[in-house]
Amino acid sequence: MSTPFIQCRELTRTYTRGTERITPLDKLDLDIDRGQFVALMGPSGSGKTTLLNLLAGIDSPTEGELLIGDTPVHSLSRGRLAAWRADHVGYIFQLYNLVPVLNAYENVELPLLLQSITRQERHRRVSNAMEAVGITDRHKHYPRQLSGGQEQRVAIARAIVTEPDLLLCDEPTGDLDRETATSIMDLLQRLNRDEGRTIVMVTHDPATTRWADTLLHLEKGRLLEHEEVTT
Amino acid sequence: MSRLLRLIPVVFRTIRRSPIRSGLTIMGIAMAMYLFTGVESMRNGVRDATEAGAGDSMLVVYRENRYCPFTSRLPEWYVDRIERIEGVKAAVPMQILVSNCRASLDVVTFRGVPGDSLGASLSPGTEIVAGSINDWTKRGDAAIVGESLAARRGIRVGDRFNAAGVAVYVAGILESSEMQDRNSAWVHLPFLQEALRRGGTGGFVTQFNVVVDDPARMDEIALSIDEAFAHDERPTATRPEKAFIGRAARDIVGIANFAGILGWGALVAVFALIANAIMLAMRDRIRDHAIMQTLGWTGPLIGWMVLVEGAMLGLFGGILGAFGAWLTIQYGRFAMTMEGASIEISTSAWTAIIGTGLALALGILAGVAPALRLSRRSIASSFGAV
Repeated sequence: MSTPFIQCRELTRTYTRGTERITPLDKLDLDIDRGQFVALMGPSGSGKTTLLNLLAGIDSPTEGELLIGDTPVHSLSRGRLAAWRADHVGYIFQLYNLVPVLNAYENVELPLLLQSITRQERHRRVSNAMEAVGITDRHKHYPRQLSGGQEQRVAIARAIVTEPDLLLCDEPTGDLDRETATSIMDLLQRLNRDEGRTIVMVTHDPATTRWADTLLHLEKGRLLEHEEVTT
Repeated sequence: MSRLLRLIPVVFRTIRRSPIRSGLTIMGIAMAMYLFTGVESMRNGVRDATEAGAGDSMLVVYRENRYCPFTSRLPEWYVDRIERIEGVKAAVPMQILVSNCRASLDVVTFRGVPGDSLGASLSPGTEIVAGSINDWTKRGDAAIVGESLAARRGIRVGDRFNAAGVAVYVAGILESSEMQDRNSAWVHLPFLQEALRRGGTGGFVTQFNVVVDDPARMDEIALSIDEAFAHDERPTATRPEKAFIGRAARDIVGIANFAGILGWGALVAVFALIANAIMLAMRDRIRDHAIMQTLGWTGPLIGWMVLVEGAMLGLFGGILGAFGAWLTIQYGRFAMTMEGASIEISTSAWTAIIGTGLALALGILAGVAPALRLSRRSIASSFGAV
């Protein structure tokens, strides 16, 4: 049996707010295999976003271990974490979070500016990513000139342009109508099935979980149930 | 290093695509740097006109206790006695007539010299760039005009021009390293004395310009000249030319010193403007910075972008303001004249380059604190602040 791609061991995150101690994630044990598409559900405050942030290296655990691939993410310094994130993680936000003063092409190009590649190579990768999400004809448009669905496609192109192993999606269809949400979920599924990317998606919408192959339920920082999704 | 350079176009786009904020900030910086460069040019002019150099060898003999060309009247025959004083190489009697005795930006100063003494009364290295001394010698009403005065008044060879009630024919234009020469019109002494006859100036001159053998003995020779006329009806006060100008134009020197404070104030304004613009921009871009950090940008990289933004704002404003002032002064050829002594507002590309460099340095300095703060900020706190 192969080693899981993501291994969480007693993963804990604690905050202190005034005198109050909050533990959104409490000794979580979780394994995710390479190439899995995991949907993460749970009520508000269940620890979904905290887990996503820990997986992305945006936040660090208070206790426990987090191993992604061969990297002990829990023990990396801020600088190394940033470098690791740039190479291995693509993050898709609910509200797209494009940089408003950059056009679609420049937004997608942004993560590549950190890599030592030629301008031609950068151009090739941006074009490929934009083509993969079907947004090539909008490359000169600014975020304000795009629809919600188009903005999310640009955000997905930005997330995949570095060809990361892990795609983390924080309610990627939360702000979209049903039709657009379907097309975005189809796109994520294609990236998972055709390109073998591991996807962890936080969602509130049960309808979007049918694209995933595993559904996890979190409550009060603990894993409640773990079910395989049949499509 | 190449990564840092790759981010510069991103910063440039950010500035370009926030045109109102960037434009207003750059305009503010430009105005302040325009003021700074203008003030520095004025101070340069004052320094050039009043600070003595090791090679200076010109003394000005003036009537004691007189401060305006209209009141300094010395007998023309003093010239023979001055020339007999040991150490004096040459002395030229000179009648000065100014169109305005007060401080002004456009004063015409006529210098009347004997027909055979024009060469001796001009500074070494002076060159006639249009017309000729020969034409000047032939005509009694001819004038050789300094290039700054000619440029300011749009005067060309062959023109006639009129100032202070004196009409002259322009026989030549001279170029000189000395600002007094560049801002004067040189005419025949008898012609100027005749023009001033109504004031009873015949046989009198305003001053004598004396060239000494040894620049190191200027003070000693000045003292000898004043001692020679101390008991005459019209005693003299002799000073090195630069000191004479410094005394005549002491009000302008005072204004220039005060303007220096304004110049430093302009630099403080540049710093405050850039710091304010950066602080506002940082507040607006907290979300963008959090996104970039999520994409793998480190805090120091984002701090670097803030420094580059400050530097660019300073640089653009600096170029616009400092070179704008340089061009204005270059083409305006302004000279402040007081009691016949001219002080040119003298600028050079070097002054504009220094001004631009200062604006650039202030831009970087203004970005240091926000850059440090951003470089230490965690992504979670950036998202939390949105």
